[in-house]
Amino acid sequence: MEKHNNNAKAFISFDKVSKSFGATKALINCSVSFEVGKIHALVGENGAGKSTLGKLILGVHKHDSGSIKIDGKESFLSSPRESVKQGLVGISQELSLLPDRSVVDNIAIGRETTIGPFVSNKQTLEKVEAVMEKYDLYIEPSRVVGSLSVADQQKVEILRALNTNARLIVFDEPTARLASHEADQLHNLVHSLAKSGTAVVYISHFLEEVLKISDTITLLRNGEKVRTEPTSKETKKSLIEGMTGRDAGNLFPKKPKINEKSEVLLKVKSLSRANEFKDVSFEIKKGEILGIAGLVGSGRSELAHAIYGNRMPDSGSIELNGKEFITKNVAHSIKNGMAMVPESRRDQGLILERSLLENTSLPYLEQFTSWIYGLNKNDEYSEVDDSCKTTMIKHGGLEKEVQYLSGGNQQKVLFARAAMNKPKLLIADEPTRGVDIGAKQVIYELISQLSKVGEAVLLISSEVEEIIGMAHRTLVMSRGKVVAELKGNQITKSAIMEAAFEQD
Amino acid sequence: MNNALEYSKKHGIAIITILLFIVLALTTDGFFTERNLRNILDQQSTILIAASFMTIVIISGNFDISVSSIFVVSPLFALYVENATGNIFLAVIAGILIGLAMGAFNAIVVTYFKVNSFIATLATSFMFFGLGYLISDRSLMRPMGDAYQQIARTKFFDITSATWLAIGVVIIASIILTRTRFGRNVFATGGNQEAARLAGVSVSRVQAATFILLGGASALAGIVSSSRSISAQPSDDFSFVFAVLTAVIVGGTSIAGGKGAIWRTVAAAFFLAFMSNGFNLNQIDPLWQRIILGLVIVIAVAIDSWSQRKNA
Repeated sequence: MEKHNNNAKAFISFDKVSKSFGATKALINCSVSFEVGKIHALVGENGAGKSTLGKLILGVHKHDSGSIKIDGKESFLSSPRESVKQGLVGISQELSLLPDRSVVDNIAIGRETTIGPFVSNKQTLEKVEAVMEKYDLYIEPSRVVGSLSVADQQKVEILRALNTNARLIVFDEPTARLASHEADQLHNLVHSLAKSGTAVVYISHFLEEVLKISDTITLLRNGEKVRTEPTSKETKKSLIEGMTGRDAGNLFPKKPKINEKSEVLLKVKSLSRANEFKDVSFEIKKGEILGIAGLVGSGRSELAHAIYGNRMPDSGSIELNGKEFITKNVAHSIKNGMAMVPESRRDQGLILERSLLENTSLPYLEQFTSWIYGLNKNDEYSEVDDSCKTTMIKHGGLEKEVQYLSGGNQQKVLFARAAMNKPKLLIADEPTRGVDIGAKQVIYELISQLSKVGEAVLLISSEVEEIIGMAHRTLVMSRGKVVAELKGNQITKSAIMEAAFEQD
Repeated sequence: MNNALEYSKKHGIAIITILLFIVLALTTDGFFTERNLRNILDQQSTILIAASFMTIVIISGNFDISVSSIFVVSPLFALYVENATGNIFLAVIAGILIGLAMGAFNAIVVTYFKVNSFIATLATSFMFFGLGYLISDRSLMRPMGDAYQQIARTKFFDITSATWLAIGVVIIASIILTRTRFGRNVFATGGNQEAARLAGVSVSRVQAATFILLGGASALAGIVSSSRSISAQPSDDFSFVFAVLTAVIVGGTSIAGGKGAIWRTVAAAFFLAFMSNGFNLNQIDPLWQRIILGLVIVIAVAIDSWSQRKNA
């Protein structure tokens, strides 16, 4: 490690640290050090050990062997409290704020200035404002946190960290929920934090982002460190190869051709829903992959949920297979050949504590049910098994709870569920969020297969590459409206971004 | 290590119940006798009837406090019909119907008006208790004929009909929960409501059905209890629901929803019954029973939350 240490002061260093969870080795003999004033990125597939490393720093987990030194002194980070005391704090994907309390209350929580037994609101506020000023990061202190955007909430959390005199901040996938201009703001902020002497550990799936903002990159694979290099020595290609241990190749399958004569499957006519989307019209042919790009909050998911029957549109109409389709409820839409892979697999997709079998067959139990025998488990089992095989889920038995599967395999469960319906229309909302490259490839292949057999796919994604790589045609949404329609070669990053950021 | 935890979570209550049974059988005179065991079965029947369906309500992510009030009101209505018609069959049907109706009322408040189920059923409890005083004109009610007491007291193969009814209800509830589409939907709804909805499960309908079924079961339990005591009395007594909840929770059904099993509720009910029977037979001051019962509940819930943290 010391080889790369060009005079920067190592603030916290790991020496041959290992950590196991049961039989899974999450981190094996890992040596790495984090320096004051540097942005150090951790890169790797899901399960590579990035988050485990972060959580060891934050005292969430305790290491099994090896040593952790802070300022050259052996330290035992046995609890989050201990870590905070040492100036080590984390900003995670899921924010931990009190939504009903004000900005200042959230920032100062646990560190309010007191006079005797009483909290001095004035002095507390002054202290918080001083921190805001120091880092040039201002959010109206009296606002209620729940009313802020996700990006601003994240800033509140960062301010809270800064208020504790953090010396090292671990960012775990901080931009996963941010729109791209918000992500840019965050990058600037991270830079200024580093400049002011904070050590930054940056965990992210987005390689461009990592290459753009970090000083040093540590690559992890299957719990082991592959290498630590200055960012200038890495490229996207070298990172992908290092992460997967194989050639980067092409992530996307060849786009299947659509038959020009194939029929229109879904026709949406001036669909509107108050405050969500307005006057949206489009059609999808059988076998077509239609992308919907746009920023988070542009009404993409809301539109999808309206088509899927989970929310009722205020006006407009939907035609399915040439006939008017009146949305009633989700079950009705599923019966009519729709399937959805929702945006968040944990919140909207899976019942984590139930088995793979139950999760996959949940929407279609009726077909396995008879009045006399109840559920026919044999039929159910064999159909689910088939579907899990086509979607290449790696699992230790259909009876195992899905919470024990990796993120990529959990995501594939949603595809297995969708595929069981042999849907005519698949709505995939952020189908590869938070999954590693191997699983991504499988998912893209699945989508492409569906399109080849004539199914229409509505692909909603924030990853522009995904849209470019997969969609035959794409709509760009902004503030609830379709602002552009791009076809074939017109689908480029700049065209999409331009349309997405267009002001009305 | 994880497997051991998983195993003890699943089967722990059964193992502990069997151990307690063996210990009592070996150490306590009068425990392992036919009469004593038959008595325990008979005494537990009302709790088992209600607890089976309470387990289903809790797995679906709700709570029902109004079980006590339905338990009190339904037999009053059954006796009212019995007194008016003399027909025992009509009386039982009427009692169960009013239970189902009260369950449906709970269902509407919880699923349509979206009131938190704990608060909703606390509120409806008072309404139902009030209804009990109305029906009975504030007084103790007795059956006119002798047939009413036979509902719970008829013996088949030396075992009371109350016990047989409980066995039947437990089996039916287990089949509903583990072998039917509805049961799967109950687990899905309690495990992740939004995911269940997006998979096409009608979450409100599932939850409504659990309340209605529990209303019917509580009514049956109330009728059995009144048949045993040959009377029914209006009251504001919440103790029945707490006994029922204790069995469900000690049985390891998660109050967060999505997890649980009826057979574990049954095992817990017997564990609690053996415990109290053991205390009585050994003539230990009942005050200790309370303290230990409380401890057992705390331990059961602590194990549940501890294992949830392990999984997180």
